[in-house]
Amino acid sequence: MALLEVEGLSVAFGGLAALSGVSLAVSAGTVYAIIGPNGAGKTTLLNAVAGYVRPASGRIRIDGRDTTDLAPHAIARQGLRRTFQNGGVWGEMTVLENILVGVDHDAQSGLLGILFGFGRDRRTERRAVAEARAILARAGLAGIEDKRVRDLSFGQQRVIEISRALVSRPRILLLDEPAVGLSESEREELGARLRALAQEGTAVILVEHVVDLVMAVSDRVLVLNSGQVLAEGTPEEVRGDAAVVEAYLGSA
Amino acid sequence: MSRGGAAAVAALLILLVLPPFFVDDYVQFILDLILVYVMVSFGFNIVLGYAGQLAFANAAFFGLGAYTLAICLGRLDWPFPAALFAAAVVGGAAGLLVSLPALRLRAYYLAIITLAFGELLRWTYVHASGLTRGSSGLGVPAISIFGIPVASDRARYWLFLALAGLTLWGSANLLRSRFGRALVAVRGNEAAAAAMGLAPAVVKIGAFAWSGVVVAIGGAMYALLLGRISPESFGLSQLLLHFSIVMIGGLGSLVGSVLGAVILTAAPELLRDIPGLEEIIFSLLLIGVLLFMPKGVAGLLGRLALFRERLYLT
Ligand SMILES: Nc1ncnc2c1ncn2[C@@H]1O[C@H](COP(=O)(O)OP(=O)(O)OP(=O)(O)O)[C@@H](O)[C@H]1O
Ligand SMILES: [Mg+2]
Repeated sequence: MALLEVEGLSVAFGGLAALSGVSLAVSAGTVYAIIGPNGAGKTTLLNAVAGYVRPASGRIRIDGRDTTDLAPHAIARQGLRRTFQNGGVWGEMTVLENILVGVDHDAQSGLLGILFGFGRDRRTERRAVAEARAILARAGLAGIEDKRVRDLSFGQQRVIEISRALVSRPRILLLDEPAVGLSESEREELGARLRALAQEGTAVILVEHVVDLVMAVSDRVLVLNSGQVLAEGTPEEVRGDAAVVEAYLGSA
Repeated sequence: MSRGGAAAVAALLILLVLPPFFVDDYVQFILDLILVYVMVSFGFNIVLGYAGQLAFANAAFFGLGAYTLAICLGRLDWPFPAALFAAAVVGGAAGLLVSLPALRLRAYYLAIITLAFGELLRWTYVHASGLTRGSSGLGVPAISIFGIPVASDRARYWLFLALAGLTLWGSANLLRSRFGRALVAVRGNEAAAAAMGLAPAVVKIGAFAWSGVVVAIGGAMYALLLGRISPESFGLSQLLLHFSIVMIGGLGSLVGSVLGAVILTAAPELLRDIPGLEEIIFSLLLIGVLLFMPKGVAGLLGRLALFRERLYLT
């Protein structure tokens, strides 16, 4: 059974049909790309899956459980993480603090403990900081952990946002154009990282305009156009699809 | 804590404990009042600065703390610790209540509704005279703690110092914990916070409730200090004073709240002899800060690099 299932999903903004009858299924351990021209509905699809947009009709299931009507934080707690097309880092926090918010998720401590710094909470806090530091070290960000995120480059902010999303080892990861602002080598690194994640069993859903990256890392590709599925299949199948070439790839 | 840090804290504690031995009643009263306003502005800052919510129920929390304490002590004959606890609980409950519209309403509506809440309470204090003695005011009896009377001004100052110290220490820990990070995360980008599994509503409710607790304890201290409370103490001018302290001290800054409380409690006393001057200086100060020092005195000090505290605590 697929880890993420979307069935007949339709989203409307006023009179505009942003998505009409979109279905897809993503298995654990795969990279699933969603491509399409500007305004095709890619971000809307991610927003609906993550609970930020209420669909007019259709169902969304995570691991068989219906999540269509859950709030974003409740869906996140099902093991789903996402990044935002316009960036979702907290600019006024430091790099370490951004990561810590992800680590905090697992902390268990009582109010009194937090208020008066009882031993267990001090330990929880220390453990969280140690874990966040280890994550930063792995992502190659150790040197800038105390810098405020808003002072960093766009590319670094992207890397931080993705690292933060990975902290609690999500089962499903939604990435909205993560390659924007990255250099050629950073893109390759990102591609390798996504493959490695899939290897570990994560279902990675990648919205991306950089076709080379998509073709290189994806197991399957879905092409959206004006809110509808134009084609779905392996990268080779999609690349050879006449309708896709006409609507999207040809102009890209 | 490092050894130097511990020594600094010890020195500060000694400095804070000593004043009653050296100052007259009048200065002692001002010091007590400063402690009250430190509590009040810090509590307000949790909602206004840390949670970024334009809610103006602070004078309401303050009045509820004062009236709850006075009623529990004077009318129900409760012992002081129980009355203080009741004041804190009522403040927290009021905070929770006010957070509910905050979950749905945006800036201006929330501001108006919370202002109305404060005025409604004030109206209630006037008219529920069976309980509050209405406009003539409610006396606050002398207290004792576990049998030890808090009779002198000195003892009261130490009690206030302990209450403020514990509450502020707890609050600072809270804001430095994962809860504080969640608060800043929700304020900074609610969608991103939810994407990390944080429930924005729960975080906001928590901030309001804790703010209510802190401010209500401040209100209880105020009632003890004045010995008699009446409804007009908890209206818009009280709220404006709280707001000014937070803005002048610095939005979202703990140290700023302390500085703001010191400045705005001491300055009016110094200017008292010249009629009208107090209000004028007060207004000019507020306008000046809002225009030229958006982060308040704490921000100014930060820029001068004399002193660094970040907008958030971590
Ligand atoms: N909140 C909203 N309210 C109204 N219309 C919206 C909203 N969000 C998206 N739309 C519209 O829905 C359509 C799909 O938008 P969406 O952002 O999903 O496209 P996209 O495929 O992500 O495009 P891009 O490649 O530019 O990011 C567009 O016409 C857009 O203007
Ligand atoms: Mg988009």
